[in-house]
Amino acid sequence: MKKILQLTLGIVTSVGGFLEIGSVATAAQAGALFGYKLLWAILLGTICLIFLVEMSGRLAAVSKHTIVEATRERFGFPFFSAVMLGMVLVAFLVLVAELGGIGLSLQILTGLGFRWWAVPVSLAVWLLMWKGTFSLIENGASLLGLVTVSFVVAAVKMHPEWGSVAHGLIPTVPGDQKAKYGFVAVSILGASISPYLMYFYSSGAIEDKWDTSYIPMNRIIAGFGMTFGGFLSMAVLIAAALAFQPRGISVEKFEQAALLMTPALTHWGFYLFALAMLFACLGAALEISLSIAYFFAQGLGWSWSEDLTPSRDSRFSFVYTAIILVAAVPLILGVDPMKVTMLSMALTAATLPLAIVPFLILMNDPSYLGGHRNGWISNSVVAIVILISFVLAVISIPLQIIGG
Amino acid sequence: MKLVRDVLDKKLTDREKCEMGRVDGLLMRVGERSQPRITHIVIGGSTLWMRVHPALARLSVRLARIWGPRRTEPITIPWSRVESVGKDIRLDVKARDTGALDWELWIARHVIERIPGGGSEEEEE
Amino acid sequence: MIEINAELLLGRKVCDVNGEKVGRIEEFVVETSDNACLVDAYLVGASAVIDRLSAWSLVRPIQKVLRGRSVISSYRVPWEEMDLSDPEHPKLKVQRSELRHAN
Repeated sequence: MKKILQLTLGIVTSVGGFLEIGSVATAAQAGALFGYKLLWAILLGTICLIFLVEMSGRLAAVSKHTIVEATRERFGFPFFSAVMLGMVLVAFLVLVAELGGIGLSLQILTGLGFRWWAVPVSLAVWLLMWKGTFSLIENGASLLGLVTVSFVVAAVKMHPEWGSVAHGLIPTVPGDQKAKYGFVAVSILGASISPYLMYFYSSGAIEDKWDTSYIPMNRIIAGFGMTFGGFLSMAVLIAAALAFQPRGISVEKFEQAALLMTPALTHWGFYLFALAMLFACLGAALEISLSIAYFFAQGLGWSWSEDLTPSRDSRFSFVYTAIILVAAVPLILGVDPMKVTMLSMALTAATLPLAIVPFLILMNDPSYLGGHRNGWISNSVVAIVILISFVLAVISIPLQIIGG
Repeated sequence: MKLVRDVLDKKLTDREKCEMGRVDGLLMRVGERSQPRITHIVIGGSTLWMRVHPALARLSVRLARIWGPRRTEPITIPWSRVESVGKDIRLDVKARDTGALDWELWIARHVIERIPGGGSEEEEE
Repeated sequence: MIEINAELLLGRKVCDVNGEKVGRIEEFVVETSDNACLVDAYLVGASAVIDRLSAWSLVRPIQKVLRGRSVISSYRVPWEEMDLSDPEHPKLKVQRSELRHAN
């Protein structure tokens, strides 16, 4: 029974991955510009994530080591430091975007500009980590994140043509705007396949003290969690397609995206969107802050746990305190969170191979996984993700310049 | 046993299973005619950064001189203190006595405990 | 007697007694007994890295596809055949042809 409650780890991971500002912004933009034609990109991202997250949990449950720990131990510090540099820099940018997303949501709800919210929001996120435990964050963020189910309600209420929706799950090339289409597809994949999700999930499995008995449950949690997130992301795309595409509205600003639920839920939809995004970005901000702190602590051999009082794992606590403080600075200075979001997604896509290639090697290591190593199906999926990641790495920055 | 695969970069725990860092380096005594032997495990200092680039090592020493417990030398633990080598390496030492937790304690006392709700090392004991 | 940082030897190029390149030091085979850790041999060459990563299950299928043309191998150099008097430029005391391959 206790194991089923662990579903919350899956939900919070996927909320942080699929429903954060980047994924919602790109899904809304995709729907507005291309109707249902990019649903396949969300589906592809979801399938990849189900496998990657399941593997992350399995590695932790069997070896009692997180991905970060295993990467340092197997590949040595010099290689690990390159991975750490890439992953932490990109995750930091995403953190800035998420804090900005909370600020933009509060701007919609209160009328006060997001710059004014930068300090209180950062303080609130920090306080939750300072005083909270891992279960509080896990369960709290999941529960609050459920408000995002309103996206599905809105999409269904707008009566999409389900046949066309199903058609969108098959990849097609558009007649025109090919560069823009490519850019949005890359952004969707870059926004959904975020390495910090894997690092967070494997650390969460250790925080929740998983062992080999959790392996079957881990499959359900990863599958359910990521499917939940993927569904919600698709709902955003569908709602945006119905709300914006017929009117030729392109989503460039956060406030525009907030309108996507208004055809179904009138003006309440506007505020509900802001509330849902507030909770989703909060979940994501907590997840990313923890992921960055986990990276330092696990890689360098410090004590780490959200369940310890800060003085018991002082270096770990110091890292998340410092990064949240620093992440507030660009927002105070008025940097547009949406621009940071776009840049962070392109960079996530560009640095993906750095995370996934070592991961494939780890998942085949008998000293960590014993008899629970990857089979040929899992290896094939990771190989495909690696291929996608190299393609994304090469084309994401040029596409950002041409199509962005 | 293989040094790089089984020892280097592995997690270290003390007698009380307290985490005390990772094997950042290994000191080896080499003679003309005698068999080389690993004499010490090295933790922290500039050892780690030296493996990436000497300039980073010099920078870490400079920073350690101005902030923190002002320790620039790494911690060295004699190999004879190694109790077991498995997924982690267990040492027959007490972490606090080795200096491996100096940075942890310094940041706890000078930063974390000054913030409300940070807790305190003494309280916990 | 000199004391060196073993981890800094990793990746260093090794030449034989004639100056011919042999490979890079990738691993140390050690023997532990009576609280001592003695270096038995050095593994020089790329396959030692694959060993360290336990990645043969991934490399072999790729080798098969490439019809095993490129042979990834490494040498096992006993401690007495390695000269570390200049740790930045390790060299062998024997010729490359006298070395044994590590399996």
